[in-house]
Amino acid sequence: MRKTEFAIVGAGPAGLSAAIEAARAGVKVVLADENQRPGGQLFKQIHKFFGSEAHHAGVRGIDIGTMLLQQVSQQKNVEIMLDSVVWGIFRANTSHTLGVIHNSKNIHLKARKVLLATGATENVLAFPGWTLAGVMGAGAIQTLVNVHRVLPGKRVLMVGSGNVGLIVSYQLLQAGAEVVAIVEALPKIGGYAVHAGKVARTGVPILTSTTVKEVHGKDKVEKAVLVQIDKNWQPLTGTERELEVDVVCLACGLSPLAELAWITGCKFTDVPELGGHVPIHNENMETTVPGIYVAGDLAGIEEASTAIEEGRLVGIAVAEALGYLAAGEAKDKKTEISSRAEQLREGPFGIARKQAKEQLICRSLSE
Amino acid sequence: MKNLKKISKQKQRTYEGESDLNIENADMIICRCQEVTLKDIVQAIAEDATTVNEIKRRTRAGMGLCQGRSCSRLVRKILAEHTGQKFAKVIPGTFRPPVRPIALSTLASLEEDTDDKS
Amino acid sequence: MTLLKDGFFDPEELENLPGVPSKKRLIQGPVVVIECAQEIPCNPCEEACHKKAIQIGDSIIDLPILDADKCSGCGLCIASCPGQAIFVVDTTYSDKEAAIQLPYEFLPYPEEEQLVNGLNRAGEKVCSAKVLKVLNHKKFDRTAVITIVVPIQYAMEVRNIALR
Repeated sequence: MRKTEFAIVGAGPAGLSAAIEAARAGVKVVLADENQRPGGQLFKQIHKFFGSEAHHAGVRGIDIGTMLLQQVSQQKNVEIMLDSVVWGIFRANTSHTLGVIHNSKNIHLKARKVLLATGATENVLAFPGWTLAGVMGAGAIQTLVNVHRVLPGKRVLMVGSGNVGLIVSYQLLQAGAEVVAIVEALPKIGGYAVHAGKVARTGVPILTSTTVKEVHGKDKVEKAVLVQIDKNWQPLTGTERELEVDVVCLACGLSPLAELAWITGCKFTDVPELGGHVPIHNENMETTVPGIYVAGDLAGIEEASTAIEEGRLVGIAVAEALGYLAAGEAKDKKTEISSRAEQLREGPFGIARKQAKEQLICRSLSE
Repeated sequence: MKNLKKISKQKQRTYEGESDLNIENADMIICRCQEVTLKDIVQAIAEDATTVNEIKRRTRAGMGLCQGRSCSRLVRKILAEHTGQKFAKVIPGTFRPPVRPIALSTLASLEEDTDDKS
Repeated sequence: MTLLKDGFFDPEELENLPGVPSKKRLIQGPVVVIECAQEIPCNPCEEACHKKAIQIGDSIIDLPILDADKCSGCGLCIASCPGQAIFVVDTTYSDKEAAIQLPYEFLPYPEEEQLVNGLNRAGEKVCSAKVLKVLNHKKFDRTAVITIVVPIQYAMEVRNIALR
């Protein structure tokens, strides 16, 4: 049995930020991640981020990742356990114990406070042929292309025009692939117009009210059949068209990766605007199970920049709860962080998330 | 719950007597870890499964290496569609540790307590 | 609404944006054209401009408002835009030609003096363009700013290049 004050599962933007803030206040932190390097999805984000200077706007995600790693390495109180799979979480009186596999050893890690920052999983779309080699998630393609520098194929059909679909299309083009088309089931493009514009002006057609009907190939993807759909998502017969492609990239949204949170017994609610079932949490990001906090995509699908702010918030809240920060000081810091997060939820793309988050916090009061 | 039972009973009647389930793409795989098809899942629903857990127990959908990380959402959609439940109300199956595939020998290799007996 | 359907503007959609200079200003010399139409939380362009010609204000979702008289067309804001939506257009480059500065993130970069295809917002080739300058300043952080020369009638149409 190992002991720490604050255990964090997931060393992505939320987990790293929480570790930095808590450790700065004096909290002893253990940060566990199943990957070989920390940073979560940040090191796949080779594009410049939005926001203001306080949100590192104009800086590429990969460089924000490097910056967070530098900040966390300056903290003597943070132990980072990589290659460490958290396989379970158990409650014991006022503390929690994590089951962690590290170096083929099973370690029990006991902590007074736990942050689950496990991120998200990609939604798949089922159509005939979706299990053929070459049908991949956008996140997987980003890992292949941006981290391992391997192209999954030459001619790509992108399914989904949200920011992920648009950004990954652009990055595939940068890497030298041909993006044959982007299809979007809705009648309008889902992501930012500026992302769409970057892709459109290279000549990639964006086909709205269109979906992939089926994919053909012997051992791998050789051809995709597109079909137009009406307002009720019904395919319009006669509108089918075939595209020769060797990759079909699915960018159909993300869902919170919530297994560990479910196991803690914390209460969930379904919030479509936040990607599905999310743990109900209060303004400190604490769930209905005392001592269990959530941040980042697990607390509702948003962006890396909001995940950073939510992580910071948890770091401060945990430091306060453990007596490392006085209430007044903690309050000031939390107000500052929250207002930065709120800025990112303004405007037509953010308002639904903003309202959903507010409702979550209201729900937490009645639980 | 009663209502749901009723709906699926109706479904059952519809499917009874048919040699195969008359649905489009019946052989499409939904759970790729366990190679469970759409037909398998619809059949389970026709036989009264109303939750992800019930479908999991009947068909093994979601019991493979990925523990339903890909198919759980698809199964929920199929359930909602075929039972008349709202998608949001169809909750994922129960999660239990271990949430990742780990060797039993590793699980049994618990690090010995050194400085702490609590 | 071709913007939300196809991913690019039709000319009317563009004209009404607060970041797009008037036709009168466009004929007076180099000026920035900010093709930013959605209220997304973002303001690096405001901070990039030393002349304070771009204003967003405290609410960072507001659209950038261009004070075209203050803009010298220096192009420092181009690479700062995470959405690559900022261009500089100089219709006074010569009698029949305009110069366009645009952000570019594809390798290899073109050479100066090289002839390339000028593409419109839909990625269609509309003319031939000559590369004048390729700036890849450290501050631009791997977004090169490329200056091309195009026939003047394409000044507000060409927004990308393709190497031949």
